[in-house]
Amino acid sequence: MAEPGIVFWILAVVTVASAVMVVTLKNIFHCALALILCLFSVAGIYILLNAEFLAAAQVLIYVGAVAILMIFAIMLTSNLASKAIRQSNEQVMVGTVVSVLFCGGMLALIYLTDKAIVSEETGVAFWRQVRGTLPADNVASLGGYLMTKFMLPFEVVSVLLLAAMIGAIVLARKEKA
Amino acid sequence: MEKEILTLVTFFPLVGVVLLTILPRDRHDSIKGFALIISFVTFLFSTWLYYMFDPLGNGMQMEVNIPWITSLGISYHMGVDGISLLLIMLTTILTFLSILASWNSIKTGVKGYYISMLLLETGMIGVFCALDLFMFYVFWEVMLVPMYFIIGLWGGPRKIYAAIKFVLFTMFGSLLMLVGIIYILFEYQKYSGVFSFDMLKIIGELPLSYQAQLWLFGAFALAFAIKVPLFPFHTWLPDAHVQAPTAGSVILAGVLLKMGTYGFIRICLPLFPDATITYLPYICILSLIAIIYGALVAMVQRDVKSLVAFSSVSHMGFVMLGMFALNTQGIQGSIIQMINHGISTGGLFLLVGMLYERRHTRLIEDFGGIARVMPAYAAFFMIITLSSIGLPFTNGFVGEFLILLGAFHKNNVYGIIGATGVVFAACYMLWMYQRVFFGKVTNDENKKLLDLSWREKVILVPLVLLVFWIGVYPKPLFEILKPSVNLVVEQMERAEAVRLDDDYRVEEKLTTVEVGNNELSFDTEEQSDE
Amino acid sequence: MDFTLPQYDPFRMLPEIFMLLWALWVFTYDLITKRQKEAAVGYMALIGPAVPLLFIVFYLTGLLPESWRYGGSGFGAMFFNDTTAMFFKIVFLGAAIMAIGSSFGITKQKIVNHRGEFYGLLLFSTLGMMFLASSNELLTLYIGLELTTIPLFVLAAFFKDDKLSVEAGVKYFVIGAFSSALLLYGMSFLYGLSGTTGLVQMKMNMAVVFLSYRDIGVILLGGIVLLVAGVGFKLALPPFHQWAPDVYEGSPTPIAAFLSVGSKAAGLVAFGKIFVNGLMAFFGPEQAPNDWGMLVGLLAILAMVIGNVVAIRQTNIKRMLAYSSIAQAGYIMIGMVVLNEHGMASVAYYIFAYMFANMGAFAAVAIFEDQTGSCQIEDYKGLAKTSPVFAVSLSLFLLSLVGIPPLAGFLAKYKVFAAAISMATVDPSASWLYWLVGVGVLTAVFSLFYYANVMRLMFFSNEEPRHKITYSVPALCVLLLGLAGIVVFGIYAEPILKLVRTIPADFGLYIP
Repeated sequence: MAEPGIVFWILAVVTVASAVMVVTLKNIFHCALALILCLFSVAGIYILLNAEFLAAAQVLIYVGAVAILMIFAIMLTSNLASKAIRQSNEQVMVGTVVSVLFCGGMLALIYLTDKAIVSEETGVAFWRQVRGTLPADNVASLGGYLMTKFMLPFEVVSVLLLAAMIGAIVLARKEKA
Repeated sequence: MEKEILTLVTFFPLVGVVLLTILPRDRHDSIKGFALIISFVTFLFSTWLYYMFDPLGNGMQMEVNIPWITSLGISYHMGVDGISLLLIMLTTILTFLSILASWNSIKTGVKGYYISMLLLETGMIGVFCALDLFMFYVFWEVMLVPMYFIIGLWGGPRKIYAAIKFVLFTMFGSLLMLVGIIYILFEYQKYSGVFSFDMLKIIGELPLSYQAQLWLFGAFALAFAIKVPLFPFHTWLPDAHVQAPTAGSVILAGVLLKMGTYGFIRICLPLFPDATITYLPYICILSLIAIIYGALVAMVQRDVKSLVAFSSVSHMGFVMLGMFALNTQGIQGSIIQMINHGISTGGLFLLVGMLYERRHTRLIEDFGGIARVMPAYAAFFMIITLSSIGLPFTNGFVGEFLILLGAFHKNNVYGIIGATGVVFAACYMLWMYQRVFFGKVTNDENKKLLDLSWREKVILVPLVLLVFWIGVYPKPLFEILKPSVNLVVEQMERAEAVRLDDDYRVEEKLTTVEVGNNELSFDTEEQSDE
Repeated sequence: MDFTLPQYDPFRMLPEIFMLLWALWVFTYDLITKRQKEAAVGYMALIGPAVPLLFIVFYLTGLLPESWRYGGSGFGAMFFNDTTAMFFKIVFLGAAIMAIGSSFGITKQKIVNHRGEFYGLLLFSTLGMMFLASSNELLTLYIGLELTTIPLFVLAAFFKDDKLSVEAGVKYFVIGAFSSALLLYGMSFLYGLSGTTGLVQMKMNMAVVFLSYRDIGVILLGGIVLLVAGVGFKLALPPFHQWAPDVYEGSPTPIAAFLSVGSKAAGLVAFGKIFVNGLMAFFGPEQAPNDWGMLVGLLAILAMVIGNVVAIRQTNIKRMLAYSSIAQAGYIMIGMVVLNEHGMASVAYYIFAYMFANMGAFAAVAIFEDQTGSCQIEDYKGLAKTSPVFAVSLSLFLLSLVGIPPLAGFLAKYKVFAAAISMATVDPSASWLYWLVGVGVLTAVFSLFYYANVMRLMFFSNEEPRHKITYSVPALCVLLLGLAGIVVFGIYAEPILKLVRTIPADFGLYIP
């Protein structure tokens, strides 16, 4: 596995910065724009990890559909885009502490897997051991698995979507008196 | 028939429960009638049991053992020996009498009341018959619910507090006992490879380490001590007794308290003999405290019913003292005293209830000179009072005498302190009797009081007969008790012998060490001399 | 690449396929009858879980023809019918039947436009649980869990005009999504460590990884914390429990009941599959990280203490039952951390007994709420006078929850305590289980306090009761079904105990 290059660091910084903007900006429209940026740079990281399909899906679904839908919703709701909103409440300190702790834990785990936890025989760190090679055609094999080994969950997901859809209709529908 | 008789006695009241459930709610007379008949038939069954019981036979009789939940090793195992037989008899008599006594005093929720009474009876008899620890626990817990309702629904002004306190105390103890039972189950499984709750098998086979015995004894003894109640776990008792309706108090004092002492003698002593000997001084001291404390507090009560309640604490202290004397006299006396306490305290509660029905007060100061207005009542009260004090030729004497004999055998101090309890008992009971029955009729309301009705006499006569029967001719009881008591005493003696053996060995070791030291020092002296 | 379809047998998924089609039929039926049929939709919906339930029960009792081999693999490792799957499916379907049965009141009065959707979503949620129970693989497990919860978000908010209900829905949605994310994150740890999503394969791979990387337990611990938090939210184990009382209070009562039983049982299955089965390789003192046991034990203690203590102060019976169910989850987790042949068996029996008692109690609450519109415990005053059957049955349900013999709840508590003690007596390193049992016993006494309080008000109050209960047929049937369950399976528990005895083998806890 290669060392993360400069591209990774740029994407990482952009992701984190835009994510922070999403939860701190006062204008909800700006938040949505920051979210798009965030999702885009996550897609970039996927590409760096050789997960092209995931990157494409990320752009298509999250950026293309979800975020745009949000923007539509904001624009179509009267006065929402111009209002200043408050995104935190009195529990912001507790939240910060928990997040910092969680972040510290994750960093420690990354450090451990990358440096400290080493195989006794080979001396290779856990992260750096080679576990097979990527298939030549990532997307095709993904599709192949979804249609064979993972066909059942794939089909069940359709039921899940149906349930979500029906639920959304029930909740959003205006009742006749 | 020999096989089914125990099942019949235990579950016959449930037939009544089903019957009463079907009856319409407003048919009070038929509900009462059916309950009475059912309890009487149960009593007849139990006398039949008494005749079928072979006083010479060793061990459990009329045993039934049918697998119930086989995968957990639970079986429907019932059987009686002398101890449980007498307690079953007591239960059936007292239930019958208290149903008769509730005839006029219970006016609301008649149906529920009698259903609870009969349910309670099944639970109580079941506890005394069960030879499977799981069944024992089930019956033990089952009676909690009807008793909760009896106190909470038909009790006095602070009934809800009393009911909840009663249930919480008992539940706490019994859950600890459950943990102990589960522990024993797995110890037995480790030992024998099969799951079994069979009390006889466990007692006969399972070797428990001393450490385990100490913990288990603690768990079981707490459950039982709360029920007895031993000082300092007695605080639920005055509340429950005073607030419960008359019949509730009778059952509570007469039978429920005995379940604690019965648990001690049936489970704690034989199963944890070593721990018993370790805990013995503490339990004896607590019993002595209970005897004195109960008596002293009883002396200052203004309410007759709470006086009787505290006298219960004192009397149950005697029962515990006798049992933990661990000799034949003590244990025999303690079992006889369990029966006596059921009769005399039950009788006192019934009598107090009768007076309360007439005057709606129980305060001693409201009465005086009752003997002139109600001579028959005063006579009955006198007899029961004397039995409670333990006058010769009454049942109380037999029990207390044996208990004190046993206690003296064990330790003179226990005996002396215990004996003062008898004196105190005479003080508070007779003083109360004097204030209520003698002197002039000071309160005008008391002049109009009616003497006992025939129904009330029917309730009291059997009790009085029992008082004299046990007081004058207790031999049949002793005969019935002998094999079971001997068994317990033998077990305890064996344990004590082993214990003494151990002590002796320890002493031996100590002396050898000392000798060694001496020799050593001798050597060094010699060396220094050189 | 090996793109072949795994061995599959649709017959083994017959109950699920039936449920799916029937749920669609219920949607359609409500539409084609122009939403005019009140009760018929409900009865129609009852068939949905009833037929699969009978099918599974018949299979287990051997009433089906020999050639109908229902047990076994339905779709490779993705779908597998073992005793665990079938047993928990019985619990889910039973809970669904009782929830539908107690919904007739609200579909008559409050939900007038979307009866079909209400019942259909309930069936969908049950379907998700059934997939979850049959999954032997992280992906199906996760999707099953999602299919369970997403319909429940909607159902919790089904009273759209009721602020509390909407709040319940939103709260449950946010918490549910958050916990799913945590769960997924935790699962990614497991996948990263083992390179597979199949639970059995995962177990073996991890053992191999562990051979060369002895310190890998630290990473695993990270995953374990995330997974415990994720499932902890679904199970409402403290400190992840705050949503439960609000959601139970706001959502329609039958849905609250279904949440407290069905959804909880689903969480238990997921927990058991991931932890007891998937992380089994790491069990044993010399094999290091078995830290999740202690962690979960701690949560169980918190659950029992917080649930039982806070429940005492509640004035709303649904909130009280919510806290009670938090406490009950604590008792169940005692059985969960016992990794021997008794542990999972006691969990299964507990949830079975709990299903009858809790669904019954909620059904009684639903009946009362339908007629009086109130959930305040105060309003139950004196009910024993006007409606003795109602008062007695609610009391019996509560007594079963306390664990008074001979009701089924007692045997359930007995089973979990016994399981814990069985392990503690054998394995000295597990002696902390005694503490767990000790806390369980103590808090059980506390629990008596608030359960008895309801009984006290119903029976002992002198005030004239304000309400008299009349019963509709389905509601009465649910009450009777619950009563029959707690009484029959308390006294004649042998068949169920025989069935649950084989469950620990499915989790690899012992080899039969």
